[in-house]
Amino acid sequence: MSQFLDQVEDCVPALRRYARALTHNADLADDLVQDCLERAIRKSSLWRPTGPLRAWLFRMLLNIHRNELRHRRRAPDTMPMTDLVAEPQVQSASPGRLALAETARAMQELPADQREALLLIAVEGFSYADAAAVLDIPVGTLMSRLGRARATLRSLTEEGGPKLRTMK
Amino acid sequence: MTGDTSPITESDLLAYADGLLDDDRRTEIERHLADNPVLAEDVGHWRRQNETLRELYGHVARETVPARLSAHRMAHRVKAETNRNWRMAAAAVLLVTAGAVSGWFGRDMMAAGSLADSSMISEALAAHSLYTREVLHPVEVRGDQEAHLAAWLSKRLDRPLVIPDLRDEGLTLVGGRLLPANGGAAAQFMYEDDGGRRVTLYVVPTQNGKETSLRYVAAGALESFAWTEATLGCALVGDLPKERLQEIAVRAYRQLS
Repeated sequence: MSQFLDQVEDCVPALRRYARALTHNADLADDLVQDCLERAIRKSSLWRPTGPLRAWLFRMLLNIHRNELRHRRRAPDTMPMTDLVAEPQVQSASPGRLALAETARAMQELPADQREALLLIAVEGFSYADAAAVLDIPVGTLMSRLGRARATLRSLTEEGGPKLRTMK
Repeated sequence: MTGDTSPITESDLLAYADGLLDDDRRTEIERHLADNPVLAEDVGHWRRQNETLRELYGHVARETVPARLSAHRMAHRVKAETNRNWRMAAAAVLLVTAGAVSGWFGRDMMAAGSLADSSMISEALAAHSLYTREVLHPVEVRGDQEAHLAAWLSKRLDRPLVIPDLRDEGLTLVGGRLLPANGGAAAQFMYEDDGGRRVTLYVVPTQNGKETSLRYVAAGALESFAWTEATLGCALVGDLPKERLQEIAVRAYRQLS
């Protein structure tokens, strides 16, 4: 059990990063990670995943996140948009700052399925096979989702062209 | 290797940008990009996207993890909670026996919300004792009409039910029945081994949706393993060695969750 807990604990920094990128809200993100860990620990008394632990934890976190979004959609959204956009830390007035803020805003506008996929690859460094397992989709579907995510993100951040160029 | 290179797709270009290609393919793509500046520009942009996203979110993983997210601490708390539930369930089983004699007192205690799980186990034990000794009518719908049984009970419990297949444990489905529970409905599935020993699985809808780990309760000759899933509470009851019953419970749990 103790070894399993050590392995889980090693995944926590990455889980927090993914949760923060999904929610753009530090408190919500940590609540999400806490729910995920608690569920993992309860389930572990019954059985352990056979595949990589990291992918198993990410998948669980994502499922909880999607469930919560479904519930929240019924209730009015109480999160102020300004908080969401301002949340990620950016360096003080450097030339890259604008690009970061712009990307942060664009990530918020990205459709959820594209955001989930792109973050797994670009930030979390998953292989395509493991990311597809986390999202429970075939690798081919993941690839087209990534292609769409990159095109959407680009059109949302490109200078003078905040309008969507392609929407497939 | 040979000259026949497979056509280059967007997936190849994405994998190239993400650094997820093997050496051979990478060289091919590099050659291709040298001749196609427009594609090379796309790939360059994707790489900058990756860098920007890492810069945007990477710092979170370097923050100190809050104490409330310690897996060890959480495991400690979950274990304490499980032990407490176990004691409550054991107390509830005693109360059922006492309740048979002292009437409303036991029932009143069972109604307390904190004992909802324990009440489920008591109901499961009672239903097991009542129906497993039935020779003529142990079930309402027999196991050879499994699809009908699943559809009927799913409808009555208002959620999709999977009847666990326990044949690998040497248990065949005798059938199932509908039972009353807390003003609603519950289901009981009955299984039998070669020796005619019967095991029942009691399933009741839950609202709170809190998942729990497996809990064990012994009541006289009977033993039970119970758990709660997002929409279902389940209790497996039988007169079998604890390890064997746990094995069956885990198999049922995996099929139901």
